[in-house]
Amino acid sequence: MSNEFSVLGKSVVRKDAVEKVRGEAKHVSDIQLPKMLYAKFLRSPHAHARIKGIDTSKVEKLPGVKCVLTHQNLPRIHPLRMFEYLLDETVHYQGEEVAAVAALTAELAEEALRLIKVEYEVLPAVFEVEEAMKPDAPLVHPEHGTNIYHGTGLNPIPRLSKDGWLRLEVGDVEKGFAGADTIVDATCETPMQYNCSPMPRAVICEWTGEKLTCWADTQIPLFTWRDLSNSLGISQSNVRIISINSVGGYGGKSPEKTAILTAILAKMTGRPVKAVYSRAEDCIATHHRISYKNYNKIGVKKDGTITALYSKIIAHYGRDTTVPCICQGTALLEAGTMLYRYHNSKAETCGVMTNIIGYGAMNGFGAPEAMYSIEKLIDEAAERIGMDPVEFRLRNCMRYGDRAMEYEQVLYGPIKWGILGPDLDSFPELIEKCAEKARWKEKWKGWRIPMAVNGPKRRGIGIAIGMHHCPFWPSSAIVKMNQDGSVNVLSMALEMGQGYSTAIAQVVAETLGIRYEDVNVIPSDTGVAPAAIGNVGSNATSSSINSARLAAEDARRQLFEFAAPRLNVPMDVLEVRNGNICIKGTDRAIPIASICMAHWQITGTAKNPPLESIRDEKTGEVIHAYAAAVTIAEVEVDIETGMVDVVRITSGHDCGKAINPIICENQIDLGLTMANGWVRTEKYVIDEKTGVMLNPNLLDYKLSTFLDMPRCEDFETFIVERPSAWGPFGAKGFSETSMTAFAPAIANAIYNAIGVRIREGFISSEAILKAIEKADRG
Amino acid sequence: MMSDGLIALNVNGVRYELRPRVTATLADVLREELGLTGTKIMCNEGECGACTVLINGRPMLSCMILAIDAQNKDILTIEGLANPVTGDLHPIQKAFVDYSGMQCGVCTSGMILTAKALLDENPAADEEDVRRALSGNLCRCGSYRRITQCVLSAAEMLKAGGKDE
Repeated sequence: MSNEFSVLGKSVVRKDAVEKVRGEAKHVSDIQLPKMLYAKFLRSPHAHARIKGIDTSKVEKLPGVKCVLTHQNLPRIHPLRMFEYLLDETVHYQGEEVAAVAALTAELAEEALRLIKVEYEVLPAVFEVEEAMKPDAPLVHPEHGTNIYHGTGLNPIPRLSKDGWLRLEVGDVEKGFAGADTIVDATCETPMQYNCSPMPRAVICEWTGEKLTCWADTQIPLFTWRDLSNSLGISQSNVRIISINSVGGYGGKSPEKTAILTAILAKMTGRPVKAVYSRAEDCIATHHRISYKNYNKIGVKKDGTITALYSKIIAHYGRDTTVPCICQGTALLEAGTMLYRYHNSKAETCGVMTNIIGYGAMNGFGAPEAMYSIEKLIDEAAERIGMDPVEFRLRNCMRYGDRAMEYEQVLYGPIKWGILGPDLDSFPELIEKCAEKARWKEKWKGWRIPMAVNGPKRRGIGIAIGMHHCPFWPSSAIVKMNQDGSVNVLSMALEMGQGYSTAIAQVVAETLGIRYEDVNVIPSDTGVAPAAIGNVGSNATSSSINSARLAAEDARRQLFEFAAPRLNVPMDVLEVRNGNICIKGTDRAIPIASICMAHWQITGTAKNPPLESIRDEKTGEVIHAYAAAVTIAEVEVDIETGMVDVVRITSGHDCGKAINPIICENQIDLGLTMANGWVRTEKYVIDEKTGVMLNPNLLDYKLSTFLDMPRCEDFETFIVERPSAWGPFGAKGFSETSMTAFAPAIANAIYNAIGVRIREGFISSEAILKAIEKADRG
Repeated sequence: MMSDGLIALNVNGVRYELRPRVTATLADVLREELGLTGTKIMCNEGECGACTVLINGRPMLSCMILAIDAQNKDILTIEGLANPVTGDLHPIQKAFVDYSGMQCGVCTSGMILTAKALLDENPAADEEDVRRALSGNLCRCGSYRRITQCVLSAAEMLKAGGKDE
């Protein structure tokens, strides 16, 4: 398939590979500037308290301490989150910043924190969603009037009801349920998860006069840039956010608050200031995956048709969030109305604030959580009518032409459905291929019949599917052609490990007919790069790289304009090949380098066209951008210990076009490993009395290791390529989709092994033993 | 804060004399004094393996060792792994490049050095050996399958004569 391309679709060496294996790749925490100071933050020991007084006199006398910020000497700066001030008189969770210090060394800054005396008036706090919803519950934000989020002036959500519910309805659910032969319902509480970037939060700020440079380990330089500019009241032209080798954030790399505080410390001291969180700080004071209390009810007919779905999500916000309703909107749409042909569906949600750390984005952004619940329920529904779970999914999964929309529409309206493009016919293909590769027909012995029994060990197999958006957003890029015909690409999107700089270079090289080695992607720098949303929502491929393709096409058009008169032919007979502009079907050519030299500067620029312009050729409908995934898990459960081994994974992913297959597979592995951690190893323990994370370290908060994932021969992933209508060369962002199907597949496999459903979202050994015991008691 | 004690560290074949503060870990000194920032800090409390360096050939967590305790020992960091004369990558580094054994790259130095210690000791290491030897090195990007393949293919390369320094 990739024969027609010179570099696209090939697993070329990553742009950052050599520097990473040599230890030369620099991260923000590696940078030292002359005269640099170190910042540390004092954090609240209480979940909810009013600060009656802060005494910093001892600190100010400590030699080497250059600046102390508290709410007393800092203006009440621009709310960052819905109800968040930079340093506030009230703290809303244990870990919230109370003071910031800059000193000559990090150790000295830490010592300074110990000398700050704070007098607190402890206020009543609430940590549980149900408790927080009660009318007499302590209010997390009294100015909001209730703990159920119902919108603020900062980020109004027009489709949110006055009492805080967001709803999405298709067809007539009452009628749907009435027409069902059987109805199955279940609840599931999905676990929190710590993003756990390998590199804790880090920023450095330096002022030159009124100009601020901020080296930020961020995944959204655009937002860091806007927030610094807004909060500090300086123009965007005077704020440069430089992001070199940002480190995988999985949604969590948004250091705006830290960056603003650090910028103020730098301004007040007149010196560069560096802030690097400790691991414990990163655990308790950044953010985490949202957790849902999810109730779902599904109606099915004996022949396997789904007649209706009702889905209710109560989302746990914690102290509040920068992204109100967005995760839930994604869930209502993608799990509650789209994953299957439900025919009639109603999904509703509200978000509840408590005095724990606030949630934020994390891989999948609200969709995997809802799909985890739904996919377990789908299994129950298939069992109820005695249908093979693979067949049930094949029968009901969404495909080309089915109703689709964007999550923004769920929040902001208007509700105007478009469709899934022809690429989404990948679902049946993925399911069939996955079942074949996993030898499903041979291994599946029927409902509640394990694949094998060996003493206390029961082996089971389970399947699940998932989908998620890969948004087509208004990204832009610049392709700067140099005088020797090589290229620098500029964009606010960035490399953070996912392979962005490699993939964008492949796309630009392919479009311009030049060597991959001659494309150098400049690390994101808001001082020079045009706006792109950055690396969120799996949009980098679909949006940012697409805009680079368009910018390369713009540059190519200019090359043709200059070359055509020289070759004395019209532009439309020209093509690019091996660094030359050639006349199609002939050997006549002119080197790209000579055109670049002669014309001094060729610069291609582009911005993605509006989403509405992507229409289905056949129907004329607006196509919405989604990717699909299927995973089959095999597990071995020891019914005496409750221990689970994932012994085999088969997982298929639809990425439209694999720009670099090996990088795609690494992103699939990321999703699968993160999903494994989410429901099996990464137990996020919240103290019931203080609402604080009790295991803020990597010993007790257990990421999956080599030994938690199957051996290579039992770990099979594959890619299906059905080009999308919008992405570069048909490629789509599918990285987040890759985690959606695995967690429910594990749960369904465990059910197949032991014949008992685990209702808990986090599948601990204890949960398994309890469920078995309960079933034994009947 | 500064100690008066002058210490000597042998890092990547070079002898350094310096006066670190007494509480400085080996990782602190490597990164801040010697500028060897290829040693990455992910947890700074001995839980993740990212800061692994080889001390007398054995993988050790540099965040858990005081610099003063690392005197008179041979310390190898990621910067010292490639051939110092030709700059050629070590076969393990080469395998990581060729087969994309990294994503964000924070765990990469620790993975490569731990793998080197394994293959030095057991050139015939199989997949299970690799999984066990590296199980103390965390990779949040979940590249375990690829890293395993990289180490196994490096083992093949080394057996086939790609000489280790």
